[in-house]
Amino acid sequence: MTSSETLTRPAPAAADPRAEGWFARNRSLVLASPGVAWMVLFLLVPLGMMIYVSFWTQTTFAINSTLTTKSWVAFFSSDTYVGALLRTLRLWLTVLALTFVIGYPTALFIGRFVRSKSIQTILLVACVIPFWTSFLIRVLAWRPMLGREGAVNIVLENLGIISQPIETLLFTETSVIIGMVQIYVVFMVGPVAFMLARIDDSLIEAARDLGASAWTIFSRIIFPLSLPGVVVGAIFVSVMVLGEFATASALSGRKVNLLGNIIVSQVGSLKWAFAAVIGVVLTVCIGVVVAALLRLVNLRKEL
Amino acid sequence: MGDLPILKRTLAVYTGLFIVFLYGPFVVMGILSFQAGPEGGPQFPIIEWSTYWYRHLFGLTEATRIAPLPIREALLRSLTLAFATTVVSTVLGTLTAQAFRRNFRGSGVIFYLVILGMMVPGLLLGLGQALVAQNLGIDRSWWGTAFVLHVVYTYPFAFLVMLAIFNRFDPRVEEAAWSLGVSPAVTFRKVTFPMVFPGVLSAMLFGFTLSYDEFPRSLFTAGSDVTLPLAIYGTFAVEIHPNIFAFGVLSTLFSFTILAIYGLLMAASVRRARIKASGIQEDEA
Repeated sequence: MTSSETLTRPAPAAADPRAEGWFARNRSLVLASPGVAWMVLFLLVPLGMMIYVSFWTQTTFAINSTLTTKSWVAFFSSDTYVGALLRTLRLWLTVLALTFVIGYPTALFIGRFVRSKSIQTILLVACVIPFWTSFLIRVLAWRPMLGREGAVNIVLENLGIISQPIETLLFTETSVIIGMVQIYVVFMVGPVAFMLARIDDSLIEAARDLGASAWTIFSRIIFPLSLPGVVVGAIFVSVMVLGEFATASALSGRKVNLLGNIIVSQVGSLKWAFAAVIGVVLTVCIGVVVAALLRLVNLRKEL
Repeated sequence: MGDLPILKRTLAVYTGLFIVFLYGPFVVMGILSFQAGPEGGPQFPIIEWSTYWYRHLFGLTEATRIAPLPIREALLRSLTLAFATTVVSTVLGTLTAQAFRRNFRGSGVIFYLVILGMMVPGLLLGLGQALVAQNLGIDRSWWGTAFVLHVVYTYPFAFLVMLAIFNRFDPRVEEAAWSLGVSPAVTFRKVTFPMVFPGVLSAMLFGFTLSYDEFPRSLFTAGSDVTLPLAIYGTFAVEIHPNIFAFGVLSTLFSFTILAIYGLLMAASVRRARIKASGIQEDEA
């Protein structure tokens, strides 16, 4: 045993992963510890701090650590803030529904109708390329699109679809929704197309041989099998839209205030405890949404 | 479903329209960046085609009431920050992925902890970090409080990329090298690294681009010296001019340069691997 050991493993003992010693036995934990430490210090501690500070006492320009629920009461008894919460949720649902409705047919085409793998890749890359421009500039680029003399109105007028320019395109909730859908729809298309492309063709052939109609094939086979992709896409879109503020402030002329916008303005006026309350409310919303989506499918099993 | 020509054609047209929807604002942005200056605004019609706003960006025009974008130093900060973030997140991601090559106690919790970093909205993390810094009396800065949050964001991406690479990587290759008496350092340099290099490259690409464009995580944590996205955000409040579009066009070109470098390095590494593989096959034959 010892001789074969020396024959096959002449390398120093340290190189042998099975060598005894605390470090060798806990090799994985040692390797993972820098990352874990980083995440605890700079992810969990800040989030914990946010929850903690939401119970601090807010004075005009400062906060002190006397615990109180005053900021919480102020949030839920104010029409402005509860209104912003409802507006955020409404906008999120609208954008989520639109990314699904607009994105799914594209994903269906890329994932099921394009036969060549390289054309599939080219189409997906074409969807991703816009992400190589700064996020803020992408948002700003909607302004000359949607304005009264914007590109959309010019095109529609020249096509004779409208006779008067549409006034409500820019600096309204509509413009915020259009901007967000364009920015986030790709996060829906990608995962769905990926799941659709993985469906075994023989499954569909079998269904067709047994006389299933195109609609039956879609609703009973293709759609259920693409559901994990929809859920992943919905999680991406939800997390990003709920935490949004820049699109709303750039395209609504600061008229549409989401919870994110209120956090920014509260921090600007040094209302830290209040900003923390809104932050916790937002975290809870996101947590509930993600948990609900994860209940729809068992992702660990599907992926 | 390949035998539904009408449906296929409809969906093809739809996908075309979808791509127009994705690219429309860019085309408009590109066109308007050639607006006449300084009197031309960021809207149609184009008064006269000119490169005024590009020259304005580099301070090559006569001074007008429109101040040049305050981007020079911000750009330098953003590049430095993106570089540092790339290095740290790639190292952390590789180490953690290496740990995950074997099952260990606590791996489930650690996995979700790392993934949480890309899921938590940046604004909330920035708020929490600003609160921590304020109460510990730490000055907020782009190279300190903002930098650590950028890594929290990009490290999960690096981790997932490296995990995918290691999953396809046969550990027996390394073991073979060890058993032949090759030292761990040489094994890493000659065997492990070339095999995981494409993954490292992708992890770095993620790290750089995400950090370079990162904005909500920097907003409350960067302090008074702003990064590039913060400088752009600052122009939201005031009237916008076509110079921001000219800058958008240039920064998109810059992104494509990075993407092209990535593509070239990737292609080179694939080619090298192929040559090596064919060499081994010839040796065997």
